[in-house]
Amino acid sequence: VVTLTFKLTEVGRVSINLQTPLPLCDVVEHSSAQSGYRPGGYIAVRGGRVIGADTMIADGDHIDIFPALSGG
Amino acid sequence: MFALLRINAATGVSTLEQHNGKEFLLGGRTLSSRLVSREVVADCDPLGRKNKLFFCTGALAGTVTSSANRLSVGGKSPLTGGIKESNAGGIVGTRMAEHGLRCIALEDAPAGDAPWRVVVIGKNGVTIEDGAFLVGKGVYERSDLLSARYGKDAGCITIGPAAEKLLSASGIACSDPHGVCSRYAGRGGLGAVMASKKVAALVVLADGPHKPQYVKETEYREESKHVVKLLRENPVSALFTKYGTAAMVDICQSLKVLPTQNFRHGVLDGAEKINAQTMYDTIKARGGEGRTQHACMLPCAIQCSNVYPDADGKLLCSPIEYETMALMGSNLCLTNLDTIATMNRIANDAGVDTLDCGAAIAVAMEAGLAAFGDDQAAIALMQEIRDLTPLGRILGSGCKLAAKVLGVRHAPHVLGQAIPAYEPRGTKGMAMTYLSSPMGADHTFGFTLRDETDPLTKEGKVGLSKKFQVIGSRMDAMGMCNFVRYAVRHDMGPLLNLIKSYYDVDISPVEFDDFVKETLRIEHQFNLDAGITAKDYRFAETFYDEAQPETGEKMDITDEETAQARAW
Repeated sequence: VVTLTFKLTEVGRVSINLQTPLPLCDVVEHSSAQSGYRPGGYIAVRGGRVIGADTMIADGDHIDIFPALSGG
Repeated sequence: MFALLRINAATGVSTLEQHNGKEFLLGGRTLSSRLVSREVVADCDPLGRKNKLFFCTGALAGTVTSSANRLSVGGKSPLTGGIKESNAGGIVGTRMAEHGLRCIALEDAPAGDAPWRVVVIGKNGVTIEDGAFLVGKGVYERSDLLSARYGKDAGCITIGPAAEKLLSASGIACSDPHGVCSRYAGRGGLGAVMASKKVAALVVLADGPHKPQYVKETEYREESKHVVKLLRENPVSALFTKYGTAAMVDICQSLKVLPTQNFRHGVLDGAEKINAQTMYDTIKARGGEGRTQHACMLPCAIQCSNVYPDADGKLLCSPIEYETMALMGSNLCLTNLDTIATMNRIANDAGVDTLDCGAAIAVAMEAGLAAFGDDQAAIALMQEIRDLTPLGRILGSGCKLAAKVLGVRHAPHVLGQAIPAYEPRGTKGMAMTYLSSPMGADHTFGFTLRDETDPLTKEGKVGLSKKFQVIGSRMDAMGMCNFVRYAVRHDMGPLLNLIKSYYDVDISPVEFDDFVKETLRIEHQFNLDAGITAKDYRFAETFYDEAQPETGEKMDITDEETAQARAW
C-alpha cells in the first residue's frame, strides 16, 4: 500500500494498492481517479526529500503532496 | 495615446505628456524600468534630486479584468544602489486609470528643510497642498487623515515616519479598497526616495472621468470572463483563495527551507502553530472583522489577502503574507501568530518592509540584543523602529547595515536586500534567482521552488531560474498580479487577447517575452552603470563556508554561474 497525503486540501490521505512500482505521476493519476481530486501543480516529498514525477514509487512509501504555491 | 504626468517636487510645476508605443501600452515594470533607465543618472545619490519616482499602471488597469490594477513603482534604490521596481495592489492604479494616466513621475527635490507637501491629482488638475498635518504620524493615522480630507475612495500613496528619516527599508503604502494605506510597494527603500522629495502623500481623487474605451467591448468582456474561469478552475489559484500565501509555511518546513534563527536553520519546531491552517482556524474562530479571504484590489477573483483579527475580533493586521510569517516569525523562532501580526502592524505603521526589518531583527538577536523565541523582545525591537530610536534607525536600514553595525557576519541579503523566505542553501534554484535579480534578493523574480526536482543541487539551475525569471516577470511587465501567472503559465494568449480587444494591438507571445527579456537587460545595465559588479551578487561568505544543518548543504554557486543567469 502506498499512502499519499494531500496537504492543505480536504482530500487528506489516499491509500493505493500497488502491485509493481510505478512512477509518481502514475500514482498521482491513480489517486485522482480514486479520490476525484486533481492537484494541478504539486510538490511531492518522500522521506524529507523532494521527488520528481518520474520517481519510482513502491509498496510502503508515504508521500506528502503539497500544492505548488508560491509566496507573495 | 498614454498620459505621463510629470510633477516637479522642487517647483511644484506639473506637465502632461502624451506618448505612444508598446512600452506605454504595457505599462507596469516594462515602462517603469525603461523610464528609470532613461531618465535617472545611474550613479546618482538615490536620495538626491537626480533620482525620480515613477508610478505606472498596467495595460489592463481600470478595466473589468481581474487582478489587473497593480501599481508599479520604479526608481533608484537607496537599499541596493541599483534599479528598483516594487509593485503593490490597492486602488491607486484604478484611480489613475480613471484619470487616463499611465504614469506619474515625481522629479527633482527641494531643499532638505523645505516643508512637506501633498500632491493632489483631480479632474481640475494638480494642486500642491501643505502636508504638515501628516508629518510624524504613523501610516494608519495618515490613512484616516487622508480619508477624512480626500474621501475614502481616493487613491492615496503615502509614507511612514521611517521614510521621513530616510531609512533604507522604508516602503510606499497605497490605499486598499477600504481606504487604508496597507498595500505596500515595500522593498528597496522607495519610501525614502519619496520622502527625499518632501512629498508626504500623493492623492488621486475619485473624480476621474475616464472610462475604458474598448475597441471590441463584447470580445473584451468575454475574454475577461475566460480569465476568471481559468483562475477559478486552476487548483493552485483556488488554494490561494482559501489559505493565501501562508500555505508556504508547511511546504517550506517540509523542504527544510523555512528560514529559522537568522537563516541558520531550515526547520522550526512548532511551525504548525504559525501555518496556514492555524491562521485560517484562528481567523474563523475569532470572527468579528477577521476575513480568511479578501481582495486587495478590485476586481479580483483570487482574493488571497486576509484580515487577521485580535482576540476580540478587531482588525489587528491586514494582510499577513507568508514572507512576513517567516521573516517575523520562524526566522526569529517565534511560533505565535498574534506576535507576528502585532509586529506586522507596527511595521505597517512605521512604513517599513517586513522582510528587511524582520531580517534585521534576527541579526540583532544573533548579536545578542535579544533571545530568539522571545516574543516580547521581538515586538520591542520592532517598536524601536517605529519610535525611531538610534537602534530602531539601524534596524530600519535593513539587515546588511544592521549586521555591519552589530558585528554579525551571517547577514542574509543580496545587494543589501534581505533574502526572502526560502533558505538558499536548501533550494539552489531560489538561490540562483536571488543572486541574479537586478533588484537584490527577490523571490518573485523567478520562483523555481515548485519545479526543482532536486533542490539541493545547483545543476541545471541557471536554466531553471532563467525560465522562471521570464515567467515571473511577465505579470509585472503588464501590471497584473503575480498570482495570475498560474492560470496563464503555459499560454499567455488569454491576456494578449485582452490587449488585442482593448487596443486593437497585436502582441505575440514571442514579442511579449522579448519585452520581458529586454527589460531584464535594461535593468542589469543600469546596475552596471551604477557601479554594481559581479562580486556584489553574492551571499555573505558564511553561506559558502557553513552548511545548513538540516540539508548539509553549503552555497556553491559561482560568480560565473550567476553571471550566466543574468545574461539576456
